[in-house]
Amino acid sequence: MLSFIARRCATGLLMLVALSLLIFVLLRLAPGDPIDAYINPSMPMSASDLETLRDRLGLDQPLPLQYFGWLRAALSGDFGYSIQRSGVRVLPLVMERIGPTALLMGMGLAIAIIIGIAAGIYSAVRRNAWPDIAMSVLSFIGISSPAFLTALLGLYFFSVLLHWAPSGGMQTAGAPFSIADVLAHLILPACLLSIGHAALIMRYMRASLLEVLNQDYVRTARAKGVREFWVIIKHATRNALLPVITLIGSTVGIAVGGAIFLESVFNWPGMGLLLVNAVGTRDYPVIMGATLVIGVCVILVNILTDVAYAFVDPRIQVA
Amino acid sequence: MRIKTISIAAALLLGAGLPTIVQAQSPKTIAGGFDVGPGGFPKNFNPLVATGGFTWLSTYFEPLVIWNAGLTELEGDLAKNYTMSSDQMTYTFKLVKESWHDGKPFTSKDVKFTIELAKNKASGSLLAARLGDVASVEAPDDSTVIIKLSKPNGSFLSILSQVLILPEHALAGMPPESLATSTWWSTSPVGTGPFKFKKYVTDQYVELAADDDYRGGKPKVDVLINRYFESPAAAVAALRAGEIQFTYVEPDDAASFKTDASFKVIEGGSYVVNYIGLNQKVDLFKDLKVRQAIMYAIDRNAIIESLYGGAAKPANCGYVAPQLVPEGLEAYAYDPAKAKALLTEAGWDKINGDKPITLLTYYGSPQAANVMAAIQSMLAQVGINVVPRVVDTPTYNGIVYKEGTPDWSAFPMVYAGLQNGPNPAGINPGLNKSQIPPAGFNTMRIKFDDLSAAFDKALAETDASKLDAAWQDVCKVMNKDLPWATLWVANRYGVASNKLKDFVWTPAPGGGPYAAHPETWDIQ
Repeated sequence: MLSFIARRCATGLLMLVALSLLIFVLLRLAPGDPIDAYINPSMPMSASDLETLRDRLGLDQPLPLQYFGWLRAALSGDFGYSIQRSGVRVLPLVMERIGPTALLMGMGLAIAIIIGIAAGIYSAVRRNAWPDIAMSVLSFIGISSPAFLTALLGLYFFSVLLHWAPSGGMQTAGAPFSIADVLAHLILPACLLSIGHAALIMRYMRASLLEVLNQDYVRTARAKGVREFWVIIKHATRNALLPVITLIGSTVGIAVGGAIFLESVFNWPGMGLLLVNAVGTRDYPVIMGATLVIGVCVILVNILTDVAYAFVDPRIQVA
Repeated sequence: MRIKTISIAAALLLGAGLPTIVQAQSPKTIAGGFDVGPGGFPKNFNPLVATGGFTWLSTYFEPLVIWNAGLTELEGDLAKNYTMSSDQMTYTFKLVKESWHDGKPFTSKDVKFTIELAKNKASGSLLAARLGDVASVEAPDDSTVIIKLSKPNGSFLSILSQVLILPEHALAGMPPESLATSTWWSTSPVGTGPFKFKKYVTDQYVELAADDDYRGGKPKVDVLINRYFESPAAAVAALRAGEIQFTYVEPDDAASFKTDASFKVIEGGSYVVNYIGLNQKVDLFKDLKVRQAIMYAIDRNAIIESLYGGAAKPANCGYVAPQLVPEGLEAYAYDPAKAKALLTEAGWDKINGDKPITLLTYYGSPQAANVMAAIQSMLAQVGINVVPRVVDTPTYNGIVYKEGTPDWSAFPMVYAGLQNGPNPAGINPGLNKSQIPPAGFNTMRIKFDDLSAAFDKALAETDASKLDAAWQDVCKVMNKDLPWATLWVANRYGVASNKLKDFVWTPAPGGGPYAAHPETWDIQ
């Protein structure tokens, strides 16, 4: 097992280097560099100003030198400074964004799981009754609503019209930090993030439970005189949850995409907003740093999943 | 039944999370999106490298001289008054009595230090080239500064208005090379303005506190907050939600606020002339007749009326300021028949015919899209087939400023804007032949000798009484030669809550700075 983990880590490291090279090359191929991002086209700078900028940003070196200089520093944990933010180091900047993104995604998925499973169970139990039909319609709307639409509509109704939630940010500007304040800012984007996932989980839960409810062991449980509530919760739901859990695992990746979009709409200071900003301003070191940190997370999760599978299911060979 | 309870509980869990947010703040606070829009420069704290954002920076840093709020003339700020020698080479400034936010006195040594630092390229200063004419800065006593120039420069005071004075005692200990990456700017900057820096919450907002000892009087509000937004639309949502009291808005949004009694729309000239740039490196626009045809083909007045709500002035040269526009200019009134005739005369069928021509722009607003569509349709009527292409600003700059031999076909025509005031020299970099990249920003590679000569003459003019006439000459040549198809100078908008009192904002290029007197701003 240890050699398996070591091998996966070594492969992961190579993948990270390949990823960094790929991002570096792609960034240089894309039109516009950090200096181009700096220039306001309606207020031009002189050639001398541009030279000053180029010197300061280290963009006057040949590309291979720039890459290997970056790689050498990155391997020692130094991801350099942000180009567009004076004096801000990339690694702490990126690391401090993991928390808010995890909070938004965690809350969004938690809401989706609770609502999705509860609604799925209810819908399956009341199959073909009007609440089931209503929930099915709502879930189809939820699944087919793109994140940009729900985010903007949610922002307009709940924040601009009803004033139920702040329009953006993670805390009230100028107010002292409080958990209640952060939660107040979190709840609207998290709920909006959860809509699509809740709808999907609900559909899976409903279908899975309906299948299980027709199984012999459920009939046996009922025949034994077990109360209907426990038949559903203990006997049926536990088994019906298995495919739903697999689904939840696979939606985490999709949730990252949704979170990136919601962070932009709600100005939530997470990885998504950082990346979008950095791409818009061609802040190469931040793009490289953020992409690599996301890469590390994905590779680590993959390794952990493989290891977990190996533990859970002995049929999977890791040697 | 229990199952019903479970699902209802789940639904309530969601509903309970949407409480009404009460933002009780005891200190008097004004929050705004001061860096939203084209004049802003969000997340930049260093005035030496700023290309915008001066509206906000000048709430805690101050320059020696500053434009008045109407941007019509310069007045003293940290300089109580100033005199200029008859040869226009020596400026003497008498300074106000003021102290830095950390209590240390502000003196002429700070001014000398700042100008020398701003002149030093090693500090990363983008003012270095513009201050190139400064020969020496002397501080004979604490309240007097004498600046000597190596040659007269009519724009010198205007340049000086963007040099925000920095504290020598805080920065002299740092090597200039390390200043650009110093965290001092965003953690503990010390200025002389009416508000002092309190904190920056990364990418969220900046908070300032009133400087009770400010020479202009104690500010009327205790806290000033600058919130960052990803787009003007996000700032508008926060304004409507009551979270901020001011922001720049797009013209379409401004119209929707005009009927709302809770807000006041602030309107002002943008000092940016919009134009269609005609790339002289392609063979399409070398003939003056083709350039004239484009001018006659576009119904500028109709676009101004329908898409700008009348809030723009047609430009027949680079300027619309009355003192810079001479009598007798050709007005290029809408005349598609004349445009067609000119194109026929020029042999447009042979030059290009109906082959598509890219019209590149960095303007991404819905209004700009409508303007481009209108121009596309009007030009199509006379036989010029343009295809609008919208890209983000870095991509646009990457295409048009590329040194060496860019792909000329990527930008045969551009829809762009250039700052034409308050200092009229602003458009020189886009038109003078000496400014062709890499030397400057004449991205359309315009090499018109008489136009460049007119610019050079105006730039060299040191007699203030002859200056307007010199710029009028530039206007005349532009109107005749049409290096660009000039379009208009549009208004820009800010919206302020009616709760604000004595609030001053103007859509100055780069955000000014201008005398906004934040110490007098109040909120009900």
